[in-house]
Amino acid sequence: MKLTRRQLVVGGAGTALGAALGGAGIYELLDRLADEGGGLPRRRAGGAEQHVVTLDKVVDNGVEVLVPPLHNEVVTATVRVEETRVALREAREALEAALRRLEGEYAPEPRGLHVTVAWGLPYFSRYVPSLADQHLPVDLRASEARGRSTRALIDAIRFPSDPDDLVLEENEVAVFFRSDNSEHVRAGSKALFASLEGLFEPTSIRRGFIGGGFGGEQSLPKKMALAAGIPGAELIPDTAELFLGFTSSQKNTMGPGRIANHETIPGLTDQHPDGYFRGGTAMHLSHIFEDLEAWFLNFDFSERVTTMIRPETRVAQGTQTIAQTEEDAADVEAVKRDARRHGAFGHSASIQPASRLQEAIVGTDETPYPKGTAIPQRADFDTLDNPFFWSSRPDVDRLSNEPAAGVHFVVFNPTSDDFHRNRLAMDGVLPDGTKLPIDPRGRGAGFNAVLNATHRQNYLVPPLRHRSFPLSELL
Amino acid sequence: MVLAGLALAASACGGSEEEPAKAAAKSPSKAECPAAWKADWQKLANRIEAPVYCPSWMPDPLDGDIDGMWNNINSVDPDGSYLLGWTWYEVQSGELHVNFRGQPGNAKIPTCQEVETEAGVTRRRKVPCFADPSGTKKLGDREVKVYTRNRGADVWHVLYSWEEEGTLYAVSQHVAEPLTYAQVVESLDRITSGLVRVEPTQA
Repeated sequence: MKLTRRQLVVGGAGTALGAALGGAGIYELLDRLADEGGGLPRRRAGGAEQHVVTLDKVVDNGVEVLVPPLHNEVVTATVRVEETRVALREAREALEAALRRLEGEYAPEPRGLHVTVAWGLPYFSRYVPSLADQHLPVDLRASEARGRSTRALIDAIRFPSDPDDLVLEENEVAVFFRSDNSEHVRAGSKALFASLEGLFEPTSIRRGFIGGGFGGEQSLPKKMALAAGIPGAELIPDTAELFLGFTSSQKNTMGPGRIANHETIPGLTDQHPDGYFRGGTAMHLSHIFEDLEAWFLNFDFSERVTTMIRPETRVAQGTQTIAQTEEDAADVEAVKRDARRHGAFGHSASIQPASRLQEAIVGTDETPYPKGTAIPQRADFDTLDNPFFWSSRPDVDRLSNEPAAGVHFVVFNPTSDDFHRNRLAMDGVLPDGTKLPIDPRGRGAGFNAVLNATHRQNYLVPPLRHRSFPLSELL
Repeated sequence: MVLAGLALAASACGGSEEEPAKAAAKSPSKAECPAAWKADWQKLANRIEAPVYCPSWMPDPLDGDIDGMWNNINSVDPDGSYLLGWTWYEVQSGELHVNFRGQPGNAKIPTCQEVETEAGVTRRRKVPCFADPSGTKKLGDREVKVYTRNRGADVWHVLYSWEEEGTLYAVSQHVAEPLTYAQVVESLDRITSGLVRVEPTQA
């Protein structure tokens, strides 16, 4: 399906916020594609976490794959509430009521609407600085490494492969909406950011999609890239979960259960057994452009595999889902060896010394987690935003209406530093401090050569019980 | 921008106009190697003692004149393998680059050497010059294989190759501004459909 020139506009520049929240822009195509899910009213099942979502599973190429919600949106904002106890209480009650109304309408699952509210350091610094000092989780591992107390939520940093013009953001709140039904996503963001007038001042709207091809149909990334005329769109495999042609949501590469909670890995933070933020996690949100033409025209299939996974990985031509079991996980020595032998490290392999458990543990939730278990819970999705669907600061964010291939990278790690360790490893800076002698933007460094990050920020995702204006009830 | 939108619309092939070229694409049998270029292609066929394929259409402003201003690769090996390239480049506008290859009596995909240097260590490996086969397509009477990851002079090109009488021929075009991948494919379809076989006239 091709779009008209008017429909090709991503969204945002010059668009009023209300229109942006309700409008679809290029994503109108998503609305016209078959949406799934009815949103039967149901209460959130059991857990204390906001970030954990139960996903369906499929088996692809003999590998278990979790099926992420098709439609995704993140709205970032600053808070427009007076810095008083009364105002914060009213705001907390209003937000919580709105979230509960949404949960009453849409089951908090992919068929309904899953909402995750995350808070940035500027919120804690402005509204609850003393309480934040007292209650924000302390990352014990990072504290030991740095020789000073380090919180589980820290400012985002610029990584070696990041461009100089990367924007380190300072939003106070980010709300992440996920559903198989794009109308549910739209309804959710309107309910919180249009109907709760005056509570938040949105700073950006970020939209995207993932998957849709596990049943053999043309996937959303392929359809959307073709419709938008993205350079290289024709080269995306028809059923690819993501633009780059590989499946990222394998069960083995996604942290299971509560492993990404602040408190689950023993001794990582101070939140076990009774921290205020127990059941919470850290979230990283970034936007990254992807050069699809460079990826598909400048790397052959076997190069894409070795670049994405590991230099010695061999699979049949066209394979999209490549097994990455706990036993396969690379450790620091394996990555160093690959770098010596091949002058390259694969994207997945380089991260694994940081992102996989290096030893078996029993979590504080009494779950045994084997050696090689993945820790991060990825929730990234492809986008045509450039770099956002809408921005309150179009000049600062370099907003354009031209669709561009990219990814809104959302990931939940137990702490911000844990994410930083993963991301540094992706640039060849390993957890033991080794800096591999490979250009972090070169062909040897995973697929960094085709990525270009534009924005980054770390957030804290409180547990469900404190999701609305955390700590303010203690004022 | 001189070229935007023009590349596929017009022909600068030695005075031939758009309509004859279009006709050539539709009816390959009627395509002709333009008179201004034919002598050079004939000379090439005679030199390598094998048939060569002369284009009847090239994307504007390129032409198929081997001695012309846009030709920047004209290489013939002792075994008769040839590589011809035409390039137009303009800062901030983009680049057009079309290559033609032939290797008489040899139907094997040529081998390229890839050299990578990291941390002072240089690694060399031999790899096929044409990779990532992505199907075949029928253009006139000719069935070509499509390759999307190519090396050597064909880096970042889409490449069509076909075999005739034990000889591998190829035509490729660079995917670069101002053309998209789809436009390059369209251009290659048209070039390939309009190729004219030139037989050697002396043994």
